[in-house]
Amino acid sequence: MLRATLKGMAARKARLILTSLAVVLGSAFIAAALVLTASIRATVDDLSGDSYTGSDVLVQPVEPENRGDRLVRDGVSAQTLDAIEASGDVAEVSTTVTWMINAIGDDGKIVGALAPTMAVNWGDESVERELRDGRAPETDGEVAVSAQFVTDSGLGLGDTVNAYSLATDETGYEIVGVYGYSGGRNSLSGATELAFTTTEAQRLVFGGEDVYTAVAATAVDGVSATELLASLEPAIGAESEALTRQAYVDDLNAENAEVTNVIGYFLLGFGLIAVFVSVFLIANTFSIVIAGRLKEIAMMRAIGASRGQIIRSVLAEASLLGAVASVVGAGIGVAAGAGLTSIVANNLLDTAGTSLAIPWTAPLAALAVGIGVTVLSALVPAVRASKIPPVEAMREAAKADKPIVAVTVTGLIITLVGATGIVLGLNEVFEADRTNLLAAAVGAGVVFVGVALLTAWLSKPLVALLGSVWAWSFAGRLGRLNASRNPRRTAVTAAALMIGVTLVTATATLLTSVKESLAERFETSIQAELFITGPVTSSVPATFDPALMDDIRDADGVAAAVELYYDLAQVDGTEQYVNATSDLQGGLELFGGEVADGSLDGLGEAETAVNESAAEQLGVGIGDTVSATFSRGTEAHEFTVVALLADNEDTDGWYVDPSYAGEFYTPKPTTALVDVADGADVDAVTASVEDILADEPAVSVQNHEEYLAQVTVFFDYAIIAIQLLLALAMIVAVIGVINTLVLSVLERTRELGMLRAIGMTRGQTTRMVTVESVTIALFGALLGIGTGLLLGWAVQQALVSKGVESFAVPTALIAAYFGAAVLVGLVAAIAPAVRASKVNILGAISYQ
Amino acid sequence: MPLANPPAPQITRTRSAVTASNVWRAYGSGEAQVVALRDVSVQFASGAFTAIMGPSGSGKSTLMHCLAGLDTTDRGSVLIGDTEISGLNDKDLTKLRRDKIGFIFQQFNLLPTLTAEENILLPASIAGAKPDPDWVARIIATLDLSERLTHKPTELSGGQQQRVACARALATRPEVVFADEPTGNLDTRSSGEVLRFLRRSVDDFGQTIVMVTHDPSAAAHADRVVFLADGQIVEDLHRPTADSVIDTMRGFENRVPLAGEAR
Amino acid sequence: MSTSSPVKTTAVSAEGVWKAYGTGEAQVVALRDVSVQFASGAFTAIMGPSGSGKSTLMHCLAGLDTTDRGTVHIGGTPLTGLNDKALTKLRRDKIGFIFQQFNLLPTLTAEENITLPAAIAGAKADPDWIKKIIHTLDLTDRLSHKPTELSGGQQQRVACARALATRPDVVFADEPTGNLDTRSGAEVLRFLRTSVDDFGQTIVMVTHDPGAAAYADRVVFLADGQIVEDMADPTADKVIDKMKHFEELVAAAQGEIA
Repeated sequence: MLRATLKGMAARKARLILTSLAVVLGSAFIAAALVLTASIRATVDDLSGDSYTGSDVLVQPVEPENRGDRLVRDGVSAQTLDAIEASGDVAEVSTTVTWMINAIGDDGKIVGALAPTMAVNWGDESVERELRDGRAPETDGEVAVSAQFVTDSGLGLGDTVNAYSLATDETGYEIVGVYGYSGGRNSLSGATELAFTTTEAQRLVFGGEDVYTAVAATAVDGVSATELLASLEPAIGAESEALTRQAYVDDLNAENAEVTNVIGYFLLGFGLIAVFVSVFLIANTFSIVIAGRLKEIAMMRAIGASRGQIIRSVLAEASLLGAVASVVGAGIGVAAGAGLTSIVANNLLDTAGTSLAIPWTAPLAALAVGIGVTVLSALVPAVRASKIPPVEAMREAAKADKPIVAVTVTGLIITLVGATGIVLGLNEVFEADRTNLLAAAVGAGVVFVGVALLTAWLSKPLVALLGSVWAWSFAGRLGRLNASRNPRRTAVTAAALMIGVTLVTATATLLTSVKESLAERFETSIQAELFITGPVTSSVPATFDPALMDDIRDADGVAAAVELYYDLAQVDGTEQYVNATSDLQGGLELFGGEVADGSLDGLGEAETAVNESAAEQLGVGIGDTVSATFSRGTEAHEFTVVALLADNEDTDGWYVDPSYAGEFYTPKPTTALVDVADGADVDAVTASVEDILADEPAVSVQNHEEYLAQVTVFFDYAIIAIQLLLALAMIVAVIGVINTLVLSVLERTRELGMLRAIGMTRGQTTRMVTVESVTIALFGALLGIGTGLLLGWAVQQALVSKGVESFAVPTALIAAYFGAAVLVGLVAAIAPAVRASKVNILGAISYQ
Repeated sequence: MPLANPPAPQITRTRSAVTASNVWRAYGSGEAQVVALRDVSVQFASGAFTAIMGPSGSGKSTLMHCLAGLDTTDRGSVLIGDTEISGLNDKDLTKLRRDKIGFIFQQFNLLPTLTAEENILLPASIAGAKPDPDWVARIIATLDLSERLTHKPTELSGGQQQRVACARALATRPEVVFADEPTGNLDTRSSGEVLRFLRRSVDDFGQTIVMVTHDPSAAAHADRVVFLADGQIVEDLHRPTADSVIDTMRGFENRVPLAGEAR
Repeated sequence: MSTSSPVKTTAVSAEGVWKAYGTGEAQVVALRDVSVQFASGAFTAIMGPSGSGKSTLMHCLAGLDTTDRGTVHIGGTPLTGLNDKALTKLRRDKIGFIFQQFNLLPTLTAEENITLPAAIAGAKADPDWIKKIIHTLDLTDRLSHKPTELSGGQQQRVACARALATRPDVVFADEPTGNLDTRSGAEVLRFLRTSVDDFGQTIVMVTHDPGAAAYADRVVFLADGQIVEDMADPTADKVIDKMKHFEELVAAAQGEIA
């Protein structure tokens, strides 16, 4: 008697520790996410705060209302600069000329993959630069480079570096100096920089125009920033606007905040998923804890404790557990957040110091979530416990299985409701984007709950099926039977696992389908075998010399080659994609497009062709005229619509004659398609074309696979990232499996004692428990994969109109998940199996 | 008395199925220590039905646990047949229980996930062996379970469950069957069925049965009753009847202070 | 009540009670048309073989289980028809329980266990009364101990104290000495006797032990769900004889050989 009681208490401690671990993890993740976000923001803000130290007023070009962000702004005019310099309130003036360029490293490739390469004038004072070696550039042919550039490019003092921008051709510069930044930094957040003379910078950035990206003015003593602002404003031209340095920094911070907020919500989202999973775990655990205390509860009820008192006492225990666990979790989370900030700051942002910001929301959110989740999860078990009549619990009657009809029907209804939400959201039935997203996300959550309820009904047949694998061993058979004997509990445990697996499977299925759709489209519609293009992530869009196109067309084995220019222009007051090509007809053939109406006999200078939907959008047809202004264009041009193209993902847009390319954002072509003649050797043709493009470092020749891979590499990273972020949810789910097993073993102590008494060995007992565990894990994985495939399919179907026409299954990943499930089952079984094999036979079978 | 006249006592020595020699067993320590068995020596003849009786705390359950290899002794030895079980490791003990001993507990004998038939064959399944089909069929027929083989325990009455437990205990033709209060949870009619079967298995099949009970009428089915009190054997009754058992027990009641004396 | 009044009132009564469990093959009729009255200020034992229904009868009398047919009254209040809240209040204020085991909360000390019903009610127990019980039960030295630090007998004595702490109308004891050795059992029984004689409590005790039944004023015998005998002023001998008689009937029914 004594021994049993002590053991019961100790056992309970182990189970409670496992549960509290889940709460600790969940609240830690949330606290860490909040701390990380806030700290990164603080760190970035610190950096921004260093901008233009010493200056009081900044003048920058007015942001054009009808232009996109990504286009180069006009600059502050020279007249404005003169006016500022002439002001009596101004003590000092500095100018900034900067934008992205491409520089070529010693390996002949463009420097910098993820971080941009910036051109700046040496006189810029937006940041403090410290010369480490050599001197500042004095002539237009000289350049000083940042220390990071030296590392990334392999070039150093005395070498010549070739660089070009959108406005200039490749030019060589002599490296005369190497510099760093304050605090010993080698770069600004990982970007590389080349500092030129102001005139050369203007040539690179503005095509030689005498304008500036910004002008900074310092006030004379006695004049405040606002006073200076007031006195300068009338002098400034209409193309510019002035603001105090503080206002400038504030704007910068606001922009940064937008980005960090998104990251923060993203992380928080995954934290909440883990918390959602832990609900299942905690509910299960409390069912267990209460089941073990049935006699106590019955006794309390017998001597007069009311139902409410029982519920309150269970919830009080839950709150205490939640509070302790979330305090620990908050502590761990804050520490983790600080550590992560440091890692991110040092490796990604290359900052001198990290600013740690611990928002009061972090520990508070962790506590609220931890306690809230624990109490909510314990609610149902608590209420169920209070409903047990005192006598039932004192008897040893074998409980007949409660019918699960009600649960199954409820589950079905809930699943349907959730599915409806997802369908509505995906088909953008609602007006606001946010509502649609919410509908889809909440719908997904509801579907999880519904399937979790349904799993009770599904478990018997599915578990039996899965378990038949072990039918060869008798202990295995017993294990399989045990896995299906408490459908509810098996269902809840499996459901926890299911959530993470579903999310990953759904995402992987969707992304694989997208890849597959792209690939199929390429195979079926696009005739060209080769693509001339550059990496998607280069700072300056990769371009090449259009004059080379003739050489390419003449090359052996080339049947046709078409180059493409693109721009985002204003057409009849709306933003539209505009393409230019010297051979529209040929281009359509290679892309699988077709003319729907009108004729394309040589697109004239004042003529344009466009796809039907876009034409409809603007309300124009054949013979109508539209007015278009290109990114760098100063005046509008008139075009008459001469042809309408059939809507096609790859050919949609407006087409004009390439003579306008000079006014495009990117004046040179960015892509070209090459059709290899039938019977020609693709590799040979590739080689010849590459030879022709030898002097164009920005682009390369790619076949379908390479091109596709380049476009979809992001998807692969996305799948990995999502898996990593879901790892936490998976850990919680695994804890849930362990918990359930421990419970089952404890509940079946008598049975285990009896089996051992009549001759089952320890090894057989272990095997029995292990089979039960693996079966449950596989069941969860099976459910998750099934639901994930369904969800992925649903999203894919919703996106068919957007071009995702194929449905593809990520078989390798699915196989991996089955394997992982087996592993999870094996690992989770270790402790419970050992406990089962060591059961004290006497304690178990003695009638008491 | 509705009991058969037992055979005349054999003069030739019958084989001992279970032998305990100088067994001691104590639990706990210090203040809370309880000596459950004190220097107990007893032999249980093969092919006989023996009952072990005694008040709560007499040590009768402990004795059976030690005899059955479910509990270790502090001192002394226990033999099942000729096998000394005191030094066996867990694996060998488990094998012994599986192959040579049958168990009938007061309750929780059966696995709720298996049918009656599967429960009967449970020890054999665990051993990965097949029991003698004729023998099993015979037991099932004798216990009148042929109609119930496909039922799960929750579909059987208490009496039927215990009969299935009996069948399981005998299915492997063990050297000895230990029954711990097998009729404790049953009503009169079902108890009778179970006890009659146990009697038959001894008379017709030559099984050896050692049964712990506190019920005099159950003990009356046995060939011999061994009485324990405070961890020692205090009486050995041959050819018991319900009367003689009760009288013997009454004798014990007289050894402790009774209510009548306190008033 | 501190002294027994000459006029005996009924503390607990059952009228025409039926109770069955399970369905189909596995159904068991535990109580068949049972009617019995228990006088207040008396010590009554309920006896019977396993499966006779004695525990079930006590559960029904104590409001722990519902009857299928018939009524139960505690001090004039009918139990049938009371909702769970009212039943719980009744158990809390008017009934004391001593179970065979699992009486005490392992996390509380002996003293806290004794005042548990009062704590649940949110009231304070009568300190003089509590002191008296504790002294009578010889538990004064054990008040700060947890149940795991107490012997079986001491635990049951604490359970007795707890049962009487609220001066209930009736105390139901379910095999209170079932897990105890002879000496501890006698201590508990002596106390129960004292509480009836000196404090005027009413006790209904289920037991299978003739020696325990001898402490009672009256023994009610159950068999197969019915009352078969009602014995006043029992002694161990008389009880054993009665049991023998039953055994003979039972053996006759069981044995196939005359």
